[in-house]
Parts: sequence; C-alpha cells; structure tokens
Amino acid sequence: MKVVLVGFASVLMLTVIAGLIRVERGPNPADRMLAAQLFGTTGVAILLLLAEAMEIPALRDVALVFALLAAMAAVAFVKRAWHPGPHEKGESS
Amino acid sequence: MTEWISLALIAVGAFFFLAGSTGVLRFPDVYTRLHALTKADNLGLGFVVLGLALRADSVVVVLKMLLIWALVIVAGATASHLVAEAARTSNVAPWRKRS
Amino acid sequence: MRRHTRPLERAVVFAVVWWVVAEADPEGWVFGIPFVGLATVASLKLTPTRSWRIRPAGALRYAWYFVHQSVMGGIDVALRAIKPSMPIDPMIFRYRMRLVPEHARVLFADTVSLLPGTLSTGFEGDSMTLHVLDRELPVEQSLRDVERRVADLFGLTLSAEGGNLLACENITGGECR
Repeated sequence: MKVVLVGFASVLMLTVIAGLIRVERGPNPADRMLAAQLFGTTGVAILLLLAEAMEIPALRDVALVFALLAAMAAVAFVKRAWHPGPHEKGESS
Repeated sequence: MTEWISLALIAVGAFFFLAGSTGVLRFPDVYTRLHALTKADNLGLGFVVLGLALRADSVVVVLKMLLIWALVIVAGATASHLVAEAARTSNVAPWRKRS
Repeated sequence: MRRHTRPLERAVVFAVVWWVVAEADPEGWVFGIPFVGLATVASLKLTPTRSWRIRPAGALRYAWYFVHQSVMGGIDVALRAIKPSMPIDPMIFRYRMRLVPEHARVLFADTVSLLPGTLSTGFEGDSMTLHVLDRELPVEQSLRDVERRVADLFGLTLSAEGGNLLACENITGGECR
C-alpha cells in the first residue's frame, strides 16, 4: 500500500509540472506568481503523502514550512518583486 | 476497509489537483487561473489530508495535518487576493467572453 | 467596545499549537515552555489589546458553512476546467459591504475567494471588487449570506446600507466605474 501512496505523490508531481508549463508560457508576471501557489498547495500534499508512505514524520514539518513560505512568497512578490510597467497590457485572446 | 476509504479519499484529492492544473493550463487569464488554483487545490489538499487522517497513528498527527491545511487555506486566499489586486491595479484586463 | 488582553488565554493557544507541531513529543517541552512564554510576551507587545471576539456558536456555524461552500466551490471550478466546452463567462463586480470592522472585511474577502465562482480582487473604500467566473451565478445572494455568517461569528451587526452588487463594465486603473 505504501507503493500506492508514492504513486499518488507522483501523480501530484505531474500536476505541478503541468502547471509549470503555464508559468513558463504565462505572458504576464502574475502568472509566474501562480507557481508559488502551486508549489505551496501541491507541494504540501506531496510531502504529507511521502511522510506517511516513507515513515519520515519530519516531512510533515517540511510541509508546515512550505505552507508558511508560500504565504511569505506571495506577499514579497506583490510588494517588492513585481514592478509592472505603466503600459503593461493584459492578455488578449 | 478503512484502507480503501483512505485511498479513495486520496484519489479524489488527486482528481481535484488534476482539475486545478487543467484550469491553470486552459483558463484564459490570470484571474480565472487563480480561481482554479485557489479553490480546486485547497479542496484537493483537504481530501488528501482526510485520507491520510484515516491511517494516522495518533490524534495529534491528524491535528497537525489539519493545522497545515488551515495555514494553506489562509495563505492561498490571501495570496490570490493580493495577486488579483496587483493585476487589477496594473491594468491586466480580465478576459471577456465574446458574445 | 470591550477590550481584551487575557495573557493566559494566549499562552494556552500557543501551548496547544506547540503540542500539535511537536506531535506530542514530551521532550519537545524543553524548548516548548520557553518559546510559549516568549511568544506570549511578543504577542502582548505587538497587539496589546484586541477589540474583537469570536462567538463559539457562531464559529461552529461559520465553520460548517465554510466547509460546505468550499467543497461546492472546488467542485464547480473543477468541472468548468475539465468540461470540453469550458463554460465560463467572467465579469468584475463591485459589492458595497455591510461589514464595517477591518478584521471582519478581511475574513469576508478570504471566504469569498473560496466560494463557488467568486474571487476577491481588492477593496475600494467601503466596497470590495471581485472577479466572478460566470455572471449567471447568484453572486449577490451568496455575498449577503457570507456577510451574515461573518457577522454571526464576530457578534457584529450589519450596517443598513450596502449589500448591493454592481457590474463593472469599464475597468481602468484597477477602478470599477
């Protein structure tokens, strides 16, 4: 059954990779911010699954730190890292 | 029996993560993508936590996972609000359906 | 409004958090007790008084509502994302809030972002702007509902004015006109 849990963790890893395609393609800086959210939430789920499957309780602490860092990263990004130009255009489609 | 319910819950969680990433890939602008990430992924994590709670050794481990989930929810809602606000104030136009 | 300090209450909360984070390891208390003390002192220095309180019964009703709505919100957005037709018709709205205190408004905005199809995108004076995935959703009613629940949680009364939703047709400079 441990194998199944690791399998689910791998599926979640694939969803992160899929999301990263968007971050890579994303025309707008805000799309890059989605990466932090993605890693925050999905990363936490992967770590919790691995903590159980591999019997490493410390991974739950890593998950806790991930959850806190994701919040910090978002605030830092919005307040400091993102300097949108005055003529920045929205996406058109 | 518990084993199977636990795995089913985790599978449902994985489905929501898949749907969330699908939304991030398919949705047309940053606002709609934030909808997908914030809501689908938080629910996915909720199901994974429930599934893992059924196989946890002690109550305190369940409480710890619930604490982490709560933190992720608060962080996710705050982050999506800030990112959407930053996008709005810098004139990122929301996608509109052509009719 | 009554002000609360309650150092003991804060220390108990920090101790419980420590107990959970340390996964009930008894050896953890060697570090836990000093840090619970330090956290209590820091919290009293940083926020000496707080003017809000949480009503336990309201908190339970809010928690149940929140869990139910966020499940609905997750299902709704998941289906829209995976359906081949991708049924979305987004729109920006502005909602005049009936909640006045800032802490209540923050909780309101965070809750709105987890509800089906709504995402808070900022505050403008007494209004909150939000992005809606599908303009056909009963947004005004859900927002009024959330406000009522948040007021119930904090034991507040809603202001008589507001509670109405405006569609933002023109969006310039992040403002809704």
